[in-house]
Amino acid sequence: MTAVCAADNIISPLGWTTEENIAAVLAGRSALMPHEWAFGLTEPFVASLVDRTAVSERFGAYAGMYTVFEQMCILSIREAVSAAGIDASSAALVLSTTKANVDSLGTPHYVPPADSAARIAAAVGVALPPLVVSNACISGVCAQIEAKRILAGGKVPAVIVCGCDVQSRFIVSGFQSFKALSPQECRPFDASRCGLNLGEAAATVVYVAKDRTQSGGWILRSGAVRNDANHISGPSRTGEGSYRALRHVTAGIAVEDLAFISAHGTATPYNDEMESIAIERAGLLGVPVNSFKGYYGHTMGAAGVLECILSMHAFDRGLIPATRGFGTLGVSRPVDVSAAVRDVPPRARGFVKLISGFGGCNAAALFLKGGE
Amino acid sequence: MEELILELKEEIIDALNLEEVTPADIDNDAPLFGEGLGLDSIDALELIILLEKKYGIRLSNPQEGKEVFKSVAVMAGYVKDNRKK
Amino acid sequence: MASVNVMRKVEISSDAVSVDGVALPVCGSGEAMLDWIYRTHVGGYPKYHKMDLLCKLGFIASELLLAGEDGRFVPRDDRAVILFNRTGSQCDDLRYLSTITEGEGYFPSPAVFVYTLPNIVTGEIAIRNKYYGETSFYLISGPDTWMMLEVAGQAMDCGGVSSALTGWVECPGEDKLECMMMLAEKTVNFAD
Repeated sequence: MTAVCAADNIISPLGWTTEENIAAVLAGRSALMPHEWAFGLTEPFVASLVDRTAVSERFGAYAGMYTVFEQMCILSIREAVSAAGIDASSAALVLSTTKANVDSLGTPHYVPPADSAARIAAAVGVALPPLVVSNACISGVCAQIEAKRILAGGKVPAVIVCGCDVQSRFIVSGFQSFKALSPQECRPFDASRCGLNLGEAAATVVYVAKDRTQSGGWILRSGAVRNDANHISGPSRTGEGSYRALRHVTAGIAVEDLAFISAHGTATPYNDEMESIAIERAGLLGVPVNSFKGYYGHTMGAAGVLECILSMHAFDRGLIPATRGFGTLGVSRPVDVSAAVRDVPPRARGFVKLISGFGGCNAAALFLKGGE
Repeated sequence: MEELILELKEEIIDALNLEEVTPADIDNDAPLFGEGLGLDSIDALELIILLEKKYGIRLSNPQEGKEVFKSVAVMAGYVKDNRKK
Repeated sequence: MASVNVMRKVEISSDAVSVDGVALPVCGSGEAMLDWIYRTHVGGYPKYHKMDLLCKLGFIASELLLAGEDGRFVPRDDRAVILFNRTGSQCDDLRYLSTITEGEGYFPSPAVFVYTLPNIVTGEIAIRNKYYGETSFYLISGPDTWMMLEVAGQAMDCGGVSSALTGWVECPGEDKLECMMMLAEKTVNFAD
């Protein structure tokens, strides 16, 4: 049994479809911009935020019955399910979100995440009880790994994975209290990087089980989640969890098989340094590295799904995405990052997604194109 | 100054949830970070907030904190010179 | 497919605790009860006092579950920590919200914010016990034991995972506790 990506969708400030988003990324566009007095906060911040009015308009009838978070999930899932041509009523749904509807916490309109998931499932025609992954910023990759496990169980023919988060006073102020935000557009892996930007998106992948005789399409070949067992918010100085996750998913894979590693690359001083250490420890310095945070900021629960979709579509076009915001290497290990779009080497068969989150968790996933 | 040092110790214990520590356990000149109390990066951020909330002192840059939080004695000196509350 | 055996179980409600079905005498209720259990049965781990209610609940449950285990604290990566609840970190979320009120009361607290993610409890357990394996947190509508053991079992089907700390860890309201944590092991079905 193989977990194959049947279809996908991205909703973000850069577009309503995967096509619009990948075109924007390859053209170097970003929706990162400064926001002053947003969410009633006095300290300005740079972020990539969706137009909530546009989302409601696109949602159409009954928009007022759903939260922004729910509208984005439903829109994205409907697109992907339609493109995949599957029957949602026999599929499972795995949602990935760090804070769901926290923008309305403390008001009578607040909907807890599991309840939101049930409303989303009902709106898109999924009959089985949904699962919500709430594993900090690695949720998007975890949700896809979970989809693969569900398919391996043999009880459902398809799993819809949707990652989404919306920004709010709650989240922005929290990152501000950590002094983790950059006052400008973020600079992943760069010598002058000083923090992350926040972002919003919904991203969906529909996974189906295909037996080994059918080839073509992207497969999620291997995934691993590992903890640093070190500190609940600071990255491990030895990149312990990231290294172990990378080692697991790249076992038996040659460096030349990998077009690139889509790193977490949040542009905080510690994260990018930690990832470079993990990549070196895993013997993968020869693999080009990129970060998408310069286009979307950190989209939290959506990031792990969004960035895998972009990676697949860039590879399909024979391209390694540029790391927007990168200039000069500013980490201690010589990882191969570039501010320019590059070509996928002819031997490459796929890419690795690497991601880390609060709670000391880390994940890696190996995606291969067209067969084992 | 003695009063301020004791007050600071109590504030630190309270702000950082150091339930098993008493003011007598904290040496005036011992390093707060590294050894001694073994405070971490989140504790450093909370101490910055403590300075603002209790004494009206704004430290915009966490790097400044490294000097100010060298020890309780150093912290007390800084508060005495800069407090607005 | 391997099947899952529940080896040990701890249940904690707002005012009662049982380990493998045997009541543990306790003092107080809610957070005070957890603090009492920490002082009486654990101790020597000052980080406990920084934890929010959800983490204290999960931490104490894991301490009771793992007490006296052979080889405890030896670093390992073959044990997963996979926990569930419905409301995520809502208890701490509300506490964080109170630090960001408009106007004079605006002092966002990083020490509180860091706990506004439910998976932090899995991180605390991993740090304490030196677990380098998988840690995950899922939100579902209720303590569905079958579903929780199925998800944990699927994680254990991956090569290299032999056991899991899993179950329900929830704070449905201020000082309210709901916990059912299990130590589950994979048993190989020789008929496969």
